[in-house]
Amino acid sequence: MAVYKPSQARQQKGQTAPQEPNLVPIMNLFLTIIPFMLMMVVVSQVSLVALNFSQGEGGGGGPGAGGSGAEVLEKVEIHTMGKVFQQNNQFLGMEVREKGSDLKRIPAVNDNYDYQALDLVVKDLRSRKPNLTEVTVVMYPDVLFQDLMRTIDICKSNGLTSVNYKAAAVQYY
Amino acid sequence: MRMNTSDRSARKVRRKFDDPKTLSITSLLDVLTIILVFLIKNVSTEAVKVSAEAGMQYPTTITNDKMLEEAGVTPIKIFPDRVVVGTEGLDFGTPADLMNNAKKRTQISEYLKLEAADIYKSESTEACLIVQADNSIPCAYITEVVRIGTNAGYTYIYFATLEDADWLKKYNVSSAQ
Repeated sequence: MAVYKPSQARQQKGQTAPQEPNLVPIMNLFLTIIPFMLMMVVVSQVSLVALNFSQGEGGGGGPGAGGSGAEVLEKVEIHTMGKVFQQNNQFLGMEVREKGSDLKRIPAVNDNYDYQALDLVVKDLRSRKPNLTEVTVVMYPDVLFQDLMRTIDICKSNGLTSVNYKAAAVQYY
Repeated sequence: MRMNTSDRSARKVRRKFDDPKTLSITSLLDVLTIILVFLIKNVSTEAVKVSAEAGMQYPTTITNDKMLEEAGVTPIKIFPDRVVVGTEGLDFGTPADLMNNAKKRTQISEYLKLEAADIYKSESTEACLIVQADNSIPCAYITEVVRIGTNAGYTYIYFATLEDADWLKKYNVSSAQ
């Protein structure tokens, strides 16, 4: 037992009851952080569509060059014509150009591109060529972004996972 | 009966009011801690970079490609009336400037080159350009952005869309917008 001088002993207080920690500052911190973080939460989830920039047909010789033993890549292009093309060529819609096959034209209906018809054409293409995974999407300059995305989406949802994007070479006379 | 008023120990001292009880906020604190952990888990910097923008109508797609892991991301937002570049949201003029204004085009190109170089230098990852464009933007502008982006050194280019698994089923060609 500790012994104190009378002057010091007078100041010794009895053991106090344990006090609760003061949580008010941390509460204040939380109440500041939580609204801030709620603001940063993304409510609508944005999805992404990736483009492929690898050149399937490019670089180092043609299919018959020999030596590499690589498989000959099929080339399929989906062209989407815009209103400017329509003025000169009397056709608005899409064309599926496949090497060794006839050109498939999908005309627009009431100035709207027929994506359901394109879906059927791409499905038919995939059933004939199950190993085909690469396609090139060619867009005319006045075609809208939503039409580009829909065309890429139909290709990707049918298993053509490697989509190349190319702008159409337009010539004005 | 006579009470002994001098006996102080027998006197019951009653206080006028009871001591106020302290408010226990421990349970509230627990709840807030759980919410905080949940929010920290969900909030990522990439999500902020690819958040949906007000004033922009996104195209809908069935597919949703996953972004490259550990990629350095630069967003470019093409609204119908303006182009906003980078996480800082720098205004670079109108979409038409991409085609008609060589000075603006050079500025965007220089900025993207710096951003790409910064990503490769500091993060040692692949540089990704995320194009967020309105439905109504002509592909000529998109082509220009893709061209500038690839020239600036971005190896991956993504387009931001909204996921809708049924858009093709709902699509009516005779009355489509």
